[in-house]
Amino acid sequence: MLDVRPIFFVIGILLVTLAAAMGVPALADLVAGQSDWRVFAGSAAACLFIGVGLILTMRTEEMRIGIRQAFLLTAVSWVVTALFSALPFALADLNLSYTDAVFEAMSGITTTGATVITGLEKAPPGILIWRAILQWLGGIGIIVMAVSILPLLRVGGMQLFRMESSEKGEKALPRVAQVVTVIGLIYAGLTLACALGYWAAGMRGFDAVAHAMTTVATGGFSTADASIGYFDSAAVEWVAVVFMLAGSMPFVLYIQAVRGNPMPLMRDAQVRTFLVIVVACIVLLVVWKVATGRADVGSAIRLATFNLVSVITGTGFATSDFSLWGEFAVTMFFFAMFIGGCAGSTTCGLKIFRLQVLYASTVAQAGKLLQPHGVFVPHFNRKPIPESVSESVLSFFFLYVISFGALAVGLGILGLDFVTAVSGAASAIANVGPGLGNIIGPAGTYAPLPDTAKWLLAFGMLLGRLELFTVLILFTPAFWRN
Amino acid sequence: MTDFRPVLFVVGVLLCALGIAMLVPAAVDVAYDDEDWIVFVYSAAATTFVGGSLVLSMRGADRMQLGLREAFLLTVSSWTLVSLFAAIPFLYSNLGLTLADSVFEAVSGITTTGATVLTGLDTMHRGILIWRSILHWIGGIGIVVMAIALLPLLQVGGMQLFRADSSDRSEKLFPRLQQVATAVVGVYAGLTVACAIALWMAGMSLFDAVNHAMSTVSTGGFSTKDASIGFFNSATMEMIIVVFMLLGGITFPLHVRALRRGPGVYLGDEQTRGFLALIALATLAVASWMVLIKEIPAAEALRHGLFNVASIVTTTGFASTDYLLWGTFPIVLFYFLTFVGGCTGSTSGAIKIFRFQVLYAVAHQQLMRLLAPHRVTIARFQDKEIDVATAISVLGFFFFYAFTFALLALALSLFGLDAITALSGAATAIGNVGPGLGTIIGPAGNFATLPDGAKWLLSAGMLLGRLEFVTAVVRLTRAFWRE
Repeated sequence: MLDVRPIFFVIGILLVTLAAAMGVPALADLVAGQSDWRVFAGSAAACLFIGVGLILTMRTEEMRIGIRQAFLLTAVSWVVTALFSALPFALADLNLSYTDAVFEAMSGITTTGATVITGLEKAPPGILIWRAILQWLGGIGIIVMAVSILPLLRVGGMQLFRMESSEKGEKALPRVAQVVTVIGLIYAGLTLACALGYWAAGMRGFDAVAHAMTTVATGGFSTADASIGYFDSAAVEWVAVVFMLAGSMPFVLYIQAVRGNPMPLMRDAQVRTFLVIVVACIVLLVVWKVATGRADVGSAIRLATFNLVSVITGTGFATSDFSLWGEFAVTMFFFAMFIGGCAGSTTCGLKIFRLQVLYASTVAQAGKLLQPHGVFVPHFNRKPIPESVSESVLSFFFLYVISFGALAVGLGILGLDFVTAVSGAASAIANVGPGLGNIIGPAGTYAPLPDTAKWLLAFGMLLGRLELFTVLILFTPAFWRN
Repeated sequence: MTDFRPVLFVVGVLLCALGIAMLVPAAVDVAYDDEDWIVFVYSAAATTFVGGSLVLSMRGADRMQLGLREAFLLTVSSWTLVSLFAAIPFLYSNLGLTLADSVFEAVSGITTTGATVLTGLDTMHRGILIWRSILHWIGGIGIVVMAIALLPLLQVGGMQLFRADSSDRSEKLFPRLQQVATAVVGVYAGLTVACAIALWMAGMSLFDAVNHAMSTVSTGGFSTKDASIGFFNSATMEMIIVVFMLLGGITFPLHVRALRRGPGVYLGDEQTRGFLALIALATLAVASWMVLIKEIPAAEALRHGLFNVASIVTTTGFASTDYLLWGTFPIVLFYFLTFVGGCTGSTSGAIKIFRFQVLYAVAHQQLMRLLAPHRVTIARFQDKEIDVATAISVLGFFFFYAFTFALLALALSLFGLDAITALSGAATAIGNVGPGLGTIIGPAGNFATLPDGAKWLLSAGMLLGRLEFVTAVVRLTRAFWRE
């Protein structure tokens, strides 16, 4: 039998943390003289009560977590966190249904950034900072998961990153707990630097902090309906671009960079490819915008860089409605959604290392086609890729495409038009935020969608965030069999 | 070293055959008293001349051994050159087509795609109409025979393909490859004749029946009417066409075996089962949607649902009605069905059922491995273990397919095609289906208004989709049936 007690015990700890986090928006509202602080205090009390209750009742002598428990824990902890962090949204006077509240919370905790709330400029500060905190927690949560749990579970080729540290012998830091602590500090440091950058660029202190949290987490919630476009400042946009990119790097590599050795970060194949793809896409977009007479070179560079980086990293900020940039730009943004950043970052999507493994494996296949007896070994980061890794990355890609297709068909059944269904599915599963078209595009919101579509999209976000396998495995009968 | 002589020799033979085929529309035009016959005679003369010269100058090369590289070169060059020469009658007929239009139409024909740039089919010269159908028909048999003929070059011995999905492994159906090819051609011709007779008896004119039979069995999709099959508005004809589209979408060597052992072999074949199950499921889903949401009577919903689902999944591309008016779900569903395709070794295009079956088995195996890393888990297809090399090559094909699709869609949007047209145009071209989505290239639309650049790109996409299939068969067979 699956022992669920350790799982509930850990969830109890998470809920207590969540309750503590709710203190921040409560304080913010109290300072601003908003009555909403009671909502946060109440929600925090509820979380604390249930959390402490779980901790006390589920304690066992032997706290061993097996593979099954690890999978279950991963999925359940994200779902429970989303459900509880939805409480303030549902109870505040935003007139949100519980569906909307869960959608918003899931979108926050998965760092997606799709929103159902309009009129952000007039919303109480507590709600705004709560949305930012959710993304910030989600961001660090996923990095910790990617560093500590996913390589052990060998999800979708993540074993590459386990082998890397064990094979070399020189371990970055001896124990996972220490790595996680250092990464947490780096994450906090980046957020602080980003906030200072925004503040220096002219944002108010509150906006700067809220945006810093959602930028480094590549989340995309803003404090204004017009997103970053509201500030209309080139300086703000460049700060955002830098920190969105910073949030898309493998955080483990920052550890060595902080210790004074930036070489691993600079020489990492994944980082390089990521930057090359970003630059190539920007150049194409700029050329398109200039050649079709939509913008002069200067503004084309500014617009293309910001919006492309925002979509490819899965952040989802917008400074302009890119659905109006013409045919090529729309198609480009659609495919860019799937790409994502590096593994071990806050981004979602397919991730660069998977594309590299896919490419290398396919090239090796083509070589074998012409020379059946030749030996072709695909490489990643100057090391051969074992067949088992190729297989698991390729399977990941297949499941990703199938999940995307199933989600889009599901949204079609619920009455969403083709562009909304297809781009909504892509955006949810890649945790980007905005889709295409005039409903959920950068200028729209998810509010008009039917409730069932919101639940489906929330599920898609979770699926994408937890790298598919972790969630899908719970739906196999074998998981529940002894 | 690559030896071009045997390649050019075979291409020459193919061009001669194409030249002779051009005499059919010439004869049809003469019979119906159209002056266009002269165009076909000239085209035939030019094609046969080039083909004949190649054959004569490369004489003796037919006894040379074709290496692996030559086989690939032959595949690519023969399909490209045959398409280009087949475009000549379109270019010089009095339709006023540009070079891009003519090549697009010819490639769409020979790859059995069925996307067209022509309008006013109902009043068009019959020579042109029959030429389009003939191209489909040649393309269909070409792809089936090639799938069979390429195998021996890869030291597979040819028979393993048929043995592999047969329950009785010791029994050889045919001693030699040529006999298999002949039997398959016989089945193909037989199905076409049967389809033509059935359509004729259902009330089509003989000319329309022959044309539609050729484009049905080849899962092509060219029609003699602008409104496609919808013009006839006959449930009987639609059901006849459904049956023959399905037959065209099933592995042809399986038909040969069914002739000897009865229809039980279809149910014993995992791929055919999956293919039929998918069509039944999609039909039910679409029909329920139409009944529940659009309040269409059940019989009509089933009829149109079945016809259009079968048409898309077999990559034929006929339309009995504009299904874009059915609402959101059918549109999204049809879009993704564009990628699926029929069985391998059939005339249909796209990714194919067995790849999805292999992919599913492998993905499931992956999930099981996550749960129990040290237990041995085996992925199976048709009761055989899928080894790692096979799994990776099928998975690689899937990635390559998706990647090519994305590049093509991006390139199309550079020519100013909107997102729906670009995304569905790329999918429909690579999958050799025919119509896309949206008002321009949807089932009620036409490819004529696209810019020339987009037409060239789509033509390349159609050829790529067709040939990728062959190279993928090569990959799969080598790993799958290695001795």
